[in-house]
Amino acid sequence: MKRLLVIAALALAAPPAALARGEFDPTTEFEQHKWIPIHLGPLDLSITKAVAYLMIGTVVTIALGIFTMRSRLALLPDRRQTVGEAIYEVAQTQVAEQGLPSKAIGRWFPYVASIMLFIWVVNLLGFIPLPLTGERWHGVPVWGIYAATSSLSVTLALALLTFVFTHVEGIRWNGPVRYFKSWIPEAPKALLALIVPLEILGQFMRLISLSVRLFANMLAGHILILTFIGLMFILESVVLAVFVIPVAAIFYLFEVVIVVTIQAFIFAALSAIYIGSAIEPEH
Amino acid sequence: MTHVLAALNGDVTKAGKAIGLAMGVGLGALGAGIGIGNIFSSMIQAVARQPELRGELQGIQWLGFALTEAVVFYGLLGSILAYVLV
Repeated sequence: MKRLLVIAALALAAPPAALARGEFDPTTEFEQHKWIPIHLGPLDLSITKAVAYLMIGTVVTIALGIFTMRSRLALLPDRRQTVGEAIYEVAQTQVAEQGLPSKAIGRWFPYVASIMLFIWVVNLLGFIPLPLTGERWHGVPVWGIYAATSSLSVTLALALLTFVFTHVEGIRWNGPVRYFKSWIPEAPKALLALIVPLEILGQFMRLISLSVRLFANMLAGHILILTFIGLMFILESVVLAVFVIPVAAIFYLFEVVIVVTIQAFIFAALSAIYIGSAIEPEH
Repeated sequence: MTHVLAALNGDVTKAGKAIGLAMGVGLGALGAGIGIGNIFSSMIQAVARQPELRGELQGIQWLGFALTEAVVFYGLLGSILAYVLV
């Protein structure tokens, strides 16, 4: 208690000028600056921070897959191969077999497994400090954390993939008439006028819920960490570091250990469930 | 947060927006908290009764957890939209 009082007194007494003045605004971390502008007609394909992170994520995902699952496989697995087998087993038993019917696993297991691995790697890259903030401090690139999945465009593109595949597969296996008929539940005729628009809306809500869940989770995680560290700058006192840095570290660990994995798993599992339910409609 | 401080200088609209944002997220968190509590308590009961089903239940548990937890973020997103647009 005595120590806390001393810290509090020191915090109040610390010179405000010790820290940079100015408004603390966590949203600046999520701005996209065009590093290499590429414009194709109306399309803006510029390389931004998120694109750079996605590129790194792609390379790391491919390397991880080749390293843990494709090279030097032995009957007695070493540690590297055990990790690969554990990931594969989660993708197979927890994701693919839960959602996909057995006749479609061969075709769609690669998709759900790779989307799980990709989102996991991109999420995880978001918590590793990299010199990609685009800012410079005396010529040295500033290191910072940023996740490509905390940009809505990225998650919406991933959700659109699942959305398109769902309906393409539904039509391919069932034919357009039977597939769209399966959207109409069994109900009294009078209620159908109310239920059918809701069902159609529900199909598009999947797109929103799938993308916003991942986006907002990663965004909120980063903002939480930023805000706690930013408290030092808002209250203009260095001594607060003894309080805010441990708290920020706890949130950081929570995000890295739990949220990153769960979100990747959920995205893949829901993709599998959506595709599976389109291939084998209940009605 | 600076906007709450700004209210002391008479800028009440910003303070109102900040309070609205916090209320939106807070109420979302209230609902999600109850939901997540329910999920984990059911999981504990289920595993206590049938420990051999743990592996199968775990997938469902995390699915339910993420679906429920997302509710906070819908609230957060709506609040931020209202905060920025209004």
